[in-house]
Amino acid sequence: MTDSPRRITLDQWDDRYDQLRRGGLAEPSYGGCLRRHVDDGDTRLLDLVMDNSAASLRLWNFLLTEEGRLAAARRQGKVLVGAMKDLGTVPVMAFSLENVVAFYPDGAWWIPCIMQQNANLLEIADSLGVDDSFCPVRALLGAFVSEAHFPIPDQLVCSVGATCDDLSAIAQRLEGMGHAIHWWEVPHRRAPESDEEAVALPGIFSAPKSLVRFVQGELERVRDVLADRAGSPLTDDRLAAGIRRANQVRRLLAQLREEVFAAEAAPLPALEMLIAEMLAIHFCSDQQESAAVLEGLLAEARRRIREGVGVLAADAARVFWVNPVADLRMMNLLEEAGGRVCGTEYLFSHALDLIPEDLPPMEALARAALADPMVGSPVDRAERICHDGKRFGAEAVVVSAIPGASHCALEGAIIAEVVGGRLGVPVLEIEVPPITDSIRPTLQTRLEALVETVKTRRPP
Amino acid sequence: MICAGIDMGSRTIKVVLIDGESLAAVASGIVDQGIEQEALAERLLQELLDERGLVRGDVGAVAATGYGRKLIRAADLHMTEITCQATGIAHSLPGTGAVIDIGGQDSKFLQLLPSGKVGDFAMNDRCAAGTGRFLEMAAAQLGLRISELGEMAGRSVDPSKISSMCVVFAETEIVGLLAQGSTVEDIAAGIQASIAQRIRAMAGSKASPPIVFTGGVALVPSMDAALAAAFGHPVAIAPNPQLTCAHGAAILAARHAGNGRKAD
Repeated sequence: MTDSPRRITLDQWDDRYDQLRRGGLAEPSYGGCLRRHVDDGDTRLLDLVMDNSAASLRLWNFLLTEEGRLAAARRQGKVLVGAMKDLGTVPVMAFSLENVVAFYPDGAWWIPCIMQQNANLLEIADSLGVDDSFCPVRALLGAFVSEAHFPIPDQLVCSVGATCDDLSAIAQRLEGMGHAIHWWEVPHRRAPESDEEAVALPGIFSAPKSLVRFVQGELERVRDVLADRAGSPLTDDRLAAGIRRANQVRRLLAQLREEVFAAEAAPLPALEMLIAEMLAIHFCSDQQESAAVLEGLLAEARRRIREGVGVLAADAARVFWVNPVADLRMMNLLEEAGGRVCGTEYLFSHALDLIPEDLPPMEALARAALADPMVGSPVDRAERICHDGKRFGAEAVVVSAIPGASHCALEGAIIAEVVGGRLGVPVLEIEVPPITDSIRPTLQTRLEALVETVKTRRPP
Repeated sequence: MICAGIDMGSRTIKVVLIDGESLAAVASGIVDQGIEQEALAERLLQELLDERGLVRGDVGAVAATGYGRKLIRAADLHMTEITCQATGIAHSLPGTGAVIDIGGQDSKFLQLLPSGKVGDFAMNDRCAAGTGRFLEMAAAQLGLRISELGEMAGRSVDPSKISSMCVVFAETEIVGLLAQGSTVEDIAAGIQASIAQRIRAMAGSKASPPIVFTGGVALVPSMDAALAAAFGHPVAIAPNPQLTCAHGAAILAARHAGNGRKAD
């Protein structure tokens, strides 16, 4: 086995790991072979094809050991904050306090995929009256009941308002089960009227100053709750330092995205990029290590770009992917069909933008929270997709709906209409359940048809 | 040089042989799907060659398409139905703006560019709504064959409203309509209108005329009229609608074999 970039199976990773070890691989404390995660129940790894670099090994190990990190944090007496829905703002505040660790119980939505539904989390949610008419994020209810996937947080903080209806309902059910939640409201983002003072948000949108002030007020209440739990004040200085640390991760991700998506031959696969992007919102419970993992990936990507090598054919169809997938296997499937991801909008594009460092920190965080794609209109989301899709040279767009997610039913057609019309590229709408095995042939046909369409449209 | 296109559909297997230079069909055949799918396709291909006094060595290239395309190990090329259907229609009806393809278990809508290439597409292949299977089950509910359902629909005066897209619920709805005294003709027309509306919704804003209707369901009487009403544009039935996809595959095989030679 060579060091040339390849996508390999878990079986091949066994040999690759031995080879890397013999070559002097230096591993962090959570390192080890990927096979052990299958023994822990993460059986979906057996069906995935993964990047063969040491940097990707570290990424996977970092992702799949979060539970252990959270348990260790609890043993050390740290305060565990469960942030829900806001995707990127509350963890920045929480990690500004030394003795607080934040994570997203929402992340449990991938457990039915990773563990191939063996943990019965969706069945537990069913039994609580939250059935498959809801988004698969309902798996978090099962995780709270089983207490087998993360420690029960000391404090839950959930955004509500112009966010996901499913998650709001699920969180209310959770509160009804005795888990107290601090709610904070995010209003619907709208463009400023002509007589309103406009404020630029991170990314490409603006909002009336009154909205920013409102969100800032809501976040002030979150600040009080976090400080109370931590037993120390969450000062502006601490927040400013926390924002700078979060921005370090965001800068690394921005560089990684720019270089990977723009490269002629994809230096990293879509699956690893998806997982890397998620670090922007949850840091896998360790902000400093997130940065180190991303630095490793960036270095590997740059090495491959410099050497002119990639993990996929250089003529792969350049696809912009909208929404995260419940089944990670989908990212492999796109690549097997002859495509590559060259741009993403996974519902948290605001967490990829830098939080302003030249503003009072609470105002900066309020602006960042209001840039959330979900609190604006689907047309706004489409605007951002068009903006980024054009920048990365997308030849097609996949809008991947999440079954049961109320926002997907409303936004998919709008995004497809606007993006297809504006970019003039084919737009494919698909729906991806937590395990796609039964519909794999139909999804494969659609993705292959998309790739064929892209390639036949290219000038000779 | 002879080239072959094999369309491994969900209900039937279609094979078209073409002259690799003129791209005109020289033979075609259809058989029902079965368990030994690859063997069925190979047998049909062989029969067509035998009829023409040809041998396998006369075939320059084979392209396989349809949901079972990857089963055809001998194929030189495997392409999806989207690309093959567009190629077949662009060859037989140049200038087509959009293609509606309703098969046994899926339906597709293709937007074609002036070049005949696919601009965009949409597919329904996750439930029976908007497919031939929906028509089949509804016809059975009315005690009709699928072709009879089409003929009945053509005699409708006041088409019934079938609001259920799910086959199971539509069956219940049909029972209710019969109980209310709706005529079989009106119910049949309502079923066709329901499918047409489903396809219209799937097409979104991609429906630019001229629109061509292909696939096995294009042979059902009155279905074209239902689609025309839903789209607000005339809908023409493709010549040999069951075979356009296999014909397109054969053309792609010719291009593959000729590597950009004379084949258009």
